[in-house]
Amino acid sequence: MAQIFPKALNPIAKMLVLGLPLLAGGAGVTGAAFYRSGYATGIYEVPPQPVAFSHAHHVGQLGIHCAYCHTSVEKSGFANVPPTKTCMNCHQQVWRGADMLGEVRESYKTDKPIVWNRVNNLPHYAYFNHSIHLAKGVGCVSCHGQVNEQNLTMQSSTLLMEWCIACHRAPEKHLRPQAEVFNMKWEASQYGTNPDTGKPYTQRELGLKLKKDYHVRDDVTLTNCSICHR
Amino acid sequence: MIPDATNSASASAAPAQPLWQERDAAPGFAEAAANEFPEGATEFAGDETSRRTFLQLAAASAALASAGCYIRPAAQRKIHPYATQPDELTPGLPNYYATATVHAGYGEPALVRQNEGRPTKIEGNPDHPSSLGGSSIHAQASVLDVYDPDRSRTATRRGNPVGYETAIAALRGKLYRGNESDKNLSVRVLTETVTSPTLAAHIKALLAAFPKAKWVQYNAAGNENARKGLATAYGKPVSAVYDFVKADVVLALDADFTGTGPGAVRYSRDFADRRKIRHTGKTLAECAAGREPGKPFKEGVQADALNRLYAVECMPTNTGAVADHRLALKSAQIAALARTVAAKLGIAGVTAAGDWTPAQAAWVDELVKDLQSKAGKGIVVAGDHLPDWVHALVAAINEKLTNVGANKPVKLIEPVEARADKPEQNDTLAGLVKDAAAKQVDVLLILGGANPAYTAPADVDFVGALKNVPFAVHVGSHQDETAVLCEWHINEAHPLETWGDVRGHDGTAIVQQPLIAPLFAGHSALEVLAALVPGTNGVPGTPMSPEALVAATWAKWHADAKLTGPFKTFWDTAVRAGAVPGTASATAAAALTPLATAGLPASTGVALAAGELELNFRPCPALFDGRHANNGWLQELPKPLTKICWDNAAFVSPKTAEEMKSKVNFRWTAGEHGRAEVHVAEIEVNGKKLKLPIWGLPGHADGAITVHLGHGRLRAGAHVGNNDGALNAAGEKAHGTNVYPARTSATLWAAAAKATRTAQKYFLANNQGNWSMVERDPISGKPLDRKPVRFGTLADYDKNPKFGKITPAASGETDAIDANVPYPKVVKKGDHKDDHKHDDKKHDKRLHPLNMYNPAEGLSPDLNPAQRRRWGMAIDLAACNGCSACVVACQSENNIPVVGKEQVTKGREMYWINVDRYYSGDEKGDQGAIRAYFQPRACVQCENAPCEIVCPVGATVHGTDGLNDMAYNRCVGTRYCSNNCPYKVRRFNFLTFQDWDTDTIKLGRNPDVSVRSRGVMEKCSFCVQRIRAAEIVAERELAKGLRKLPDPDKGEVLIRDGEIVTACQAACPSAAIAFGDINDPEAVVSQWKNEPTNYGLLAELNTRPRLTYLSVVRNPNPAIAK
Repeated sequence: MAQIFPKALNPIAKMLVLGLPLLAGGAGVTGAAFYRSGYATGIYEVPPQPVAFSHAHHVGQLGIHCAYCHTSVEKSGFANVPPTKTCMNCHQQVWRGADMLGEVRESYKTDKPIVWNRVNNLPHYAYFNHSIHLAKGVGCVSCHGQVNEQNLTMQSSTLLMEWCIACHRAPEKHLRPQAEVFNMKWEASQYGTNPDTGKPYTQRELGLKLKKDYHVRDDVTLTNCSICHR
Repeated sequence: MIPDATNSASASAAPAQPLWQERDAAPGFAEAAANEFPEGATEFAGDETSRRTFLQLAAASAALASAGCYIRPAAQRKIHPYATQPDELTPGLPNYYATATVHAGYGEPALVRQNEGRPTKIEGNPDHPSSLGGSSIHAQASVLDVYDPDRSRTATRRGNPVGYETAIAALRGKLYRGNESDKNLSVRVLTETVTSPTLAAHIKALLAAFPKAKWVQYNAAGNENARKGLATAYGKPVSAVYDFVKADVVLALDADFTGTGPGAVRYSRDFADRRKIRHTGKTLAECAAGREPGKPFKEGVQADALNRLYAVECMPTNTGAVADHRLALKSAQIAALARTVAAKLGIAGVTAAGDWTPAQAAWVDELVKDLQSKAGKGIVVAGDHLPDWVHALVAAINEKLTNVGANKPVKLIEPVEARADKPEQNDTLAGLVKDAAAKQVDVLLILGGANPAYTAPADVDFVGALKNVPFAVHVGSHQDETAVLCEWHINEAHPLETWGDVRGHDGTAIVQQPLIAPLFAGHSALEVLAALVPGTNGVPGTPMSPEALVAATWAKWHADAKLTGPFKTFWDTAVRAGAVPGTASATAAAALTPLATAGLPASTGVALAAGELELNFRPCPALFDGRHANNGWLQELPKPLTKICWDNAAFVSPKTAEEMKSKVNFRWTAGEHGRAEVHVAEIEVNGKKLKLPIWGLPGHADGAITVHLGHGRLRAGAHVGNNDGALNAAGEKAHGTNVYPARTSATLWAAAAKATRTAQKYFLANNQGNWSMVERDPISGKPLDRKPVRFGTLADYDKNPKFGKITPAASGETDAIDANVPYPKVVKKGDHKDDHKHDDKKHDKRLHPLNMYNPAEGLSPDLNPAQRRRWGMAIDLAACNGCSACVVACQSENNIPVVGKEQVTKGREMYWINVDRYYSGDEKGDQGAIRAYFQPRACVQCENAPCEIVCPVGATVHGTDGLNDMAYNRCVGTRYCSNNCPYKVRRFNFLTFQDWDTDTIKLGRNPDVSVRSRGVMEKCSFCVQRIRAAEIVAERELAKGLRKLPDPDKGEVLIRDGEIVTACQAACPSAAIAFGDINDPEAVVSQWKNEPTNYGLLAELNTRPRLTYLSVVRNPNPAIAK
């Protein structure tokens, strides 16, 4: 029986043995990389907003407490964007005529909401709850980043499921005392000296201690599907 | 504790009566039931689309989709915060408000959940005596009516939109000359039953301003006969209310007291309470005390305190289905039976009637003896549709048995319904039509959605008479049959959109508060009337807010009752509680008059000529008189007992069906599943011909037909009620056949009819065969007897309380199987270690190797035991009467779509909980001997879940708390899980069943539950959103030191019993469902599971179901042969 392929193709066949898996693997890696890329996840993106509200100014410079505006954050799953009324509490007094606040005054006058662009988009089948995270000692900064330094608000995390799970598997990396959850500049070392080591607490040591104190549930339970998906 | 089942295998098994479902033997049914996804069930869409066209379409749409693809995973979304946020609202948290829904004029107390200003779920109000927490299917489905896209959106004149103000101005201009009411005007106000004090006061004010005015109260399916009979018996209008907790014996004469009527929810609860056997239950003496306010009420009864129900009925009802003794009789015979019972009790002036077979005569003798032996502790209740003299007679019977009075089961109260003060100002529909025909009606005001153009009896020509009314105004929610005939129409607001008040079955008033501003700017009937009656200064329509109108009524009541404390406090409390204390109707001081038993008619019902059948008209259990025809949840709900949806049928007994040569053929080869092909009957009655599909219904009386009102509407609504698809049996574009045209005033409830089978065939959607658990012996092909419902009598229970645990398929291993059902935690003093020993001789090793659970410990014993929870559910089948409130509640809570008749016939309905019903007895034999058993079947949350191991993508996996989680977004739709589920409780979205387009529907969804789309499997989650919500609150409080860390060794748990209530559990009028943490030995669910009657459905498969059932124990009279 005659040979179907000429001998000259042998090197190509050998290259394909090596090359095909590489190609397939490469496509996989590319796909995975794209999936995690900033373009796909929207991390570090700063969506435009109808009113140029600056957290850097209000939080960083003026030191207004997070929960002054986001009132429901400790009670509800949803950390509310404040009603226009909250803005007007101050801006009836300060910057009364500023052009920048025209939209805010208009909203207050007409009782129509200011329509903000959502910065942190979770899919509809993921039910994140702010209140339980704060109660168990996860600070704002762990997910939202240094909001006190952001002018327009930025998406600071990938919001991928693997990012959620990483913390649910090892919450000690992010736990802090309940009193410090709104603190943008807190570090574990501020907690004091660890009596076991005689040195200031590291995040891991403190995290494990707080995990116990706040009765954070075990990693198996925290990664149950229905903890987030209902 | 784990019951010791050691002796159970040797003890006598439960009665060996086989369980069957109707039509088991019908051609094709077995095949249909055995195949979960029969050939073609996965076909793309309608008949015209083949798999090939599907592939073509798929390729084309894939090409289009990739062209317009937006690759970023999360699309940009908007946030709309409030401009000014209401004080009471926390975004993301629901609020609950007490109010009422209205059904047939009576209030159904409700606690309504509101998410960001949108009512999304209705529960019963535990603080109101008409509910005690339960609710009916109509109350549950009422929330969908708010968002009905077919609601009338504007006031109209001859169909053209005009403003509300224009309509009111026209009305006022007609009624008034300046500020003076036109006293010569002959005004008619047409309503159904009115119990609202404020509305009644306004109607009365209108009657006073217009002396020639009359108030017409008209109900298509009301309780006029009962009211008339009681008025005759007692010489004045009274109502009877019942306390079933106090009743040891009940005789129901065609009375579906747990299913229909304003008190049904309360009666279900009380009646079912005396059917639940509990070790901690009430003794007979405690039952006699009833529910005492302020005192704790023990659930259930001791075994010797079970009640006994005798039911006599024509069409099987939910009540009759759970009776201990049942006679299937024609309506005329039921009336005769009432006479016979009265005569045997020795009531003067009553003679026995009817021809009875020796068995029936003996039955009646024993019944009478039983009633007499429990005199003062019994209830005899007659159905609303029995003639008035039967009601009078029943009053006499109850009096004779000393059942009536204070601390007795039957109480007489002042009527709850409002009537005109002057008797001459009351009128009937017939009177109205007569006056109108004589052109003596100037203004007709139709309030509250009464729809006589559709429901009026054939001899009352309402449509014709309306042409002679120069000024007709219709106030209603839809442009229905009546609205289009009236010159003016005002769009009515839904009860959840307005202020109002209404009374429950015992008269206890409810102040209704709005949950949402009227979606379509509607107005309530009360607002319309308030604009028409003279105000305080004599000027009509002094503007007053609806809230003020209602508050004014109660301010007056508050002053009249001389209550201490300011009105404001009283008002706020009353609105908040949803029940106004002290408003229950006063006990009526009334003595039986001799008229009760005088003038009994010679004939007890319709006389039948040879070859004639008795035709009974009954309101549909779901659509009632037709008002719910545009509610998809109620249209699609498989009607209790019949399991038919989207249609009505001519129900006859299986024997009569055979005599009519009617056949049922289940087609199953071409993708159809619940598609039952039946013959159509032509029924000639009162000179009219009706065409209805024939359905042989086990338990129906021989020689009679029952048809349901409320179907076949042509103007119910474009989205649901009108049918734009297949024709009904009569060849019209409608769902079901309209039977009103054959109903006359003289034959409102029963008529003589001739029925012939035609050659025409029609298909009904009957979901009995869908999702069947039937398993066949692989060799013989015979269905295995798995005893899904375990049942027995009190005698069986006395002999062996654990009779339900005996597993028919593997009876030798009953003990081992029972040990494998998850049982509540056992707390032992001093030693908290599990006593489970693998070298124990009782331990059957064959059943354990696959089990990763330690029965008392749950998954992964190294987890922190203080925060480990084991959710479990128990359903008491003895208390379930199959009302299906759980089905609608689940649909509302979990965003379950309506799929339509065509899809139901393909086995694609999406219910997460489905009420199965089984029969025992001889299908073709004595229909009275047939017993029905109901089994609400949801995902049992197996600890060894067969679905999980076959999922290729891990979309369904186990949680540490025992929940079988379903991650919709992971599901790729292989349906392996469903195939491997022995309980057949998984539902697949074959098509895009959710309505993604209708804006109003989106508002009514539960935001805490994902809305599933096409290609995704779903199933009961034990209302995981409610579990997590309660868990988050508890864990938050634990972290902040507001709750104590529980000590699991003492059986303490973090989440207290009752903090989580599933939707089905909350809705159940009979309180037949318990849910909670079985780590808590004190939890209700743990106590239920520890009852000896507890058994695991298909537990022999080693699935370890967390949902278990309590066996049915019935209490037949030993003196009556079965």
